[in-house]
Amino acid sequence: MHIAVMIKQVPDSTEVKINPETGTLIRAGVPSILNPYDHFALEAALELKKKHDFKVTVISMGPPQAKSVVQLALALGADEGVLLSDMAFAGSDTWATSYALAKGIRKIGKVDIIFCGMQAIDGDTAQTGPGVAQQLGIPQVTFCEHADVDGRRVLARKQIDGGHELLEARPPVLLTMIMGKDYAPQHPSFLAVNASLRKPFHVWTAADIGAEPQYLGLKGSPTQVNKIYPPPQREKAAMFSGSGQEGVEKIVEIMRGEHFIGE
Amino acid sequence: MIEVSKKCIGCSKCVPVCPFAAINMIDKKAVMTEACTLCGACVQVCPVQAITITREEGASRDLSGYKGVWVYVELSETGDKTHPKKIKQVTFELLSAGRRLADELGEELCAVLLTDKDHNYGKELGEYGADKVYMVEHDELFEYNTDIFSTVMVSLVTRHKPSVILYGATIQGRDLAPRVASTLYVGLTADCTALAIKDGLLLQSRPAFGGNIMADILAPNSRPQMATVRPNVMKMGEPVHGRSALVVRESAKLDKSLRRVKVLERKIAHDAAAVKIENSSVIVSGGRGMKTREKFKQLEELSKLLGGVVGASRAAVDLGFKEKTHQVGQSGTTVSPKLYLCFGISGAVQHIVGMKASDVIVAVNKDPNAPIFNVAKDGIVGDAHEIVPKLIEALKKRR
Amino acid sequence: MASMDAISRNLMLDSLREYAKRRIPFDLIRELDEKNEFPAQILKEMYDRDTLGVHLLMIPEEYGGVSGGTYDIYRICEALARIDLGIATGVFATFLGTDPLNVGGTEEQKEKWLKRIASENLLVAYAATEPDAGSDLVNLRTRAEHVVKNGKIAGYRITGNKQWISNGGVADMHTVLAMAPGGPCWFIVEKDMEGFSPNKHEDKHGIRLSNTAGLSLDNVYVPAENLIGMEEGKGLLQAQAVFGYTRVMVAAFGLGAGEEALEQAIRYSQQRIQGGGPLSDKQGYTHKLLVPNYVRMEGARAYIEYTALRLDSGEHGLQTEGAIAKYGASEWGNKAADDAIQALGGYGYTKDFPVEKIKRDIKITCIYEGTSEVLEMTIYRGRWQEHLKSRGRYYLDMADRLDQVHAEEPRAGAHAAALALRALAAVLEECRVQKLTRHQHVTFKLGRLICAAETAAIFSTAAAAKKYTETVRFDREGWQAMARVFAREAALNTALEGLALVLGAADQAGSLADAVNIEAVQAEQKGLIADMDLVAAKLKQTFKAK
Repeated sequence: MHIAVMIKQVPDSTEVKINPETGTLIRAGVPSILNPYDHFALEAALELKKKHDFKVTVISMGPPQAKSVVQLALALGADEGVLLSDMAFAGSDTWATSYALAKGIRKIGKVDIIFCGMQAIDGDTAQTGPGVAQQLGIPQVTFCEHADVDGRRVLARKQIDGGHELLEARPPVLLTMIMGKDYAPQHPSFLAVNASLRKPFHVWTAADIGAEPQYLGLKGSPTQVNKIYPPPQREKAAMFSGSGQEGVEKIVEIMRGEHFIGE
Repeated sequence: MIEVSKKCIGCSKCVPVCPFAAINMIDKKAVMTEACTLCGACVQVCPVQAITITREEGASRDLSGYKGVWVYVELSETGDKTHPKKIKQVTFELLSAGRRLADELGEELCAVLLTDKDHNYGKELGEYGADKVYMVEHDELFEYNTDIFSTVMVSLVTRHKPSVILYGATIQGRDLAPRVASTLYVGLTADCTALAIKDGLLLQSRPAFGGNIMADILAPNSRPQMATVRPNVMKMGEPVHGRSALVVRESAKLDKSLRRVKVLERKIAHDAAAVKIENSSVIVSGGRGMKTREKFKQLEELSKLLGGVVGASRAAVDLGFKEKTHQVGQSGTTVSPKLYLCFGISGAVQHIVGMKASDVIVAVNKDPNAPIFNVAKDGIVGDAHEIVPKLIEALKKRR
Repeated sequence: MASMDAISRNLMLDSLREYAKRRIPFDLIRELDEKNEFPAQILKEMYDRDTLGVHLLMIPEEYGGVSGGTYDIYRICEALARIDLGIATGVFATFLGTDPLNVGGTEEQKEKWLKRIASENLLVAYAATEPDAGSDLVNLRTRAEHVVKNGKIAGYRITGNKQWISNGGVADMHTVLAMAPGGPCWFIVEKDMEGFSPNKHEDKHGIRLSNTAGLSLDNVYVPAENLIGMEEGKGLLQAQAVFGYTRVMVAAFGLGAGEEALEQAIRYSQQRIQGGGPLSDKQGYTHKLLVPNYVRMEGARAYIEYTALRLDSGEHGLQTEGAIAKYGASEWGNKAADDAIQALGGYGYTKDFPVEKIKRDIKITCIYEGTSEVLEMTIYRGRWQEHLKSRGRYYLDMADRLDQVHAEEPRAGAHAAALALRALAAVLEECRVQKLTRHQHVTFKLGRLICAAETAAIFSTAAAAKKYTETVRFDREGWQAMARVFAREAALNTALEGLALVLGAADQAGSLADAVNIEAVQAEQKGLIADMDLVAAKLKQTFKAK
């Protein structure tokens, strides 16, 4: 089987800071990382590769520096890497992104399973996976904790409210992965990083994948960002200082006042 | 296309606001690098309006005839034989929000229900504000399936042309909505925290860039405009007894071959003891400031004394203090308990959007400038490590 | 060796940091520090080619390594120093021990030993220092005598004692400097060779996670093929050929440890409330303990990068540059760590906070790979030659180049840096005219002034560049403010201390007061506090309280 993994480079949002005076983002010095959900998706794919000797191709879309997440995936064991990079992609919303990625996957060739993270931490939309599945006309299983292959059957364990489902599909199928307990993100050795430079890596433009310009970028995106602004400030809390007993007494008093505890 | 005109005075104000660090000042002029995503953050701060993003319009589509606000009705299993399914609360929240939008537009509010068997759902949907219920009753709709449900939704939209569709940002809604949007080539905005009508368009507000900043989204050139909204974000209105909706039965041609993914097994804990964080009326939450897993455990005892459950910030979950199922925030669960008592949470926007609807928020934090105090009703500047054990003791004494 | 691509380098750095985050928590470091214990298991994992394989950085690809350049090694050394300087030293010792092979080994020797180091994850030690021969290797006492068989030299018998050898007690192989009949040379000695024994592990002030031991060599027989380069008498040249970049590595240690201590202090200062507000908002605190130190560390960083990139572009030697890089980074880092303790007050003085350990650890960077005093002399000697050779133009030409930088980018402190360089040229010239370098004190002090003035020049040039390197964690506004603060200090110190130095050694200073241009240097101080305010704000933004 041939597995494709869709990955994304994102700013490490735990490191993003807000300028308290202007309410704007401070981006300087914030590292870019592989979207953590995608890292789990990649580990799921690599585990299947180890078990069944499948081929794994990773594909990402982004500016040239997004090459680093593709190379990370290659260092971790993926066989081939693709970066879709073109100014024409800039400004794409999830629809246009799905369109481009689906075109990219078509160019990769016959793919049996497509993995991706359930969502990316910079957007939290969870739309790109299902969007690609629809563009390719293949079934999807979202919110997967685990994936396995038995002959020609793809088995996925999906998280649902209050439990899980075990689902079966025939390839090709797209699975979106959550950050579950079954996989742990790995980091490559120095030698593996070095070896990744010798693995096939392609940069494809919009023209390379046969994507039509009217479906890309701002023009191709049904949604538009109308405004970006700092979150509204609320009225400040009534403040009390005191680490020790005073603080405790204050909390007890507040909760009594609100009737969370008895008199 | 993004362009910087001659008007640029080289003030550098746009440089720090770029979420992607894509602006360089070269020869006292702003120059965008390839990292630019055309998000527009710089356009807004430019004091001389030197930056413009031009948007070539795609092929214009006929938007006439799209009318009405739809709410996708989500059913959940109850584990009860006589009433195996019930309408999820998020549906009623969406009906309340949808009602306001429909009134403002002067259009109908319709609920869309896909089920294998009608249990008089129309009555409840009407009481919560639906004018009309589009109901598809079919054996193949006995359980949620991406292929089947999206096929039905797409055919209903094509037939009736709604202007707006709202879905719950649940596991089901987030599986279904992007599939429908992708098929119809329409806009979909995830996890909206506010919805309004602006110049006849649906104005969708949501946190962006890891929940650190807000963005307003429009989808002006396609219909329907679709959005998902998290449970507990919109206030649920009171049902009006006797208010009823017109139930319109719709047919659908479905057969088994559409079902490409099959359920082999389903395990759901219908366990009353397992209190869910989204339904709890008291939540005691902790963040990075709890420092260690052991110290975080003290919150369990505290929450028991208050009859609540434990919540956690993303940082606390990342550090392994608590399981992901307890995470409150944009990438966890949105909650609105009566009391939200939190320790050592600084209050990143990503957390705040997940708990700000709580009735009473009491926050304890060492840093007097922590943003959590901006949403708290009461703030205590102090060391959680000292306060938590003493508070446990004080509550025990009161028993 | 040219450096690798930035993506590969940063992936390796990420892997190293992730490993440290998972496996080397502060509590463990603290315990090992207290017990004076070498973390054999951790070093083994770090050398394991499937886990990390840090030692592969120094080994060319053809022998199974990853061919790191100086810039890569600087980045890894800085990251190691932020984890623990003792562990860093254990890795560094292998780098150093591999060096004579890289520089002087024959093709067969490289093929054999570098491949073994790479594939068998060997821990290496570099054994040069002796009780009577430290930075000055001329008094070498360890002897290597010929063992002749069938009229040919079959091997050597080595006898002597080595002292303070990092990894001495734990290394699998040692590169040992010894005096052979044909002059000093390096030998490969394996740990189980007969007559070889390490002494006890030293009880040190800092870097207690690093094994340091003396070595006894009692008639140790090594085959002739273990003589590095297969030719006697090349040992000192082989040692000196690498000082440029080995000193860059130690400079990176001073930089990493010094900045780490300061960053901990900066985070702490935002939480500690005194007199109604956090310490981070008080100039009396920030402008004394944090800002000047961080500014100096970033200056040291700029100089390290400048030297590393030159070495990677194929230049050789750069002994003076290596000395400047190490001297600045280690001396300023030591001061920074000391002030970090002060910044944490009583907490800083306890072992509960890492700054106390960093302060003990970082002191070694002022001692090993050339003490600060040896470096002062090295720097002076190198640049004095340049001053004479150029008839006093060396620093004046450099100042002219800074003027050009200033014309293109007036916000990077290049004007102040040019003032520092011109003052330095004037002081050197006055020393020449009055023959003041007969005083050793004058020469060492000149080494110190040269370091600061040159660093100012390099820092301002880097801060004026259109594009910054991957290591700059501040925006343009912030980094340029740092460069300005640095250059002002350098100009002031060069002018005032240079003048005082000459006056202290001679009866009169001629027109030196005019030549160092004190008035302009003083006028240049305008805006200093505003710049320091800005730097304090940027530090707070970048290193937010956790």
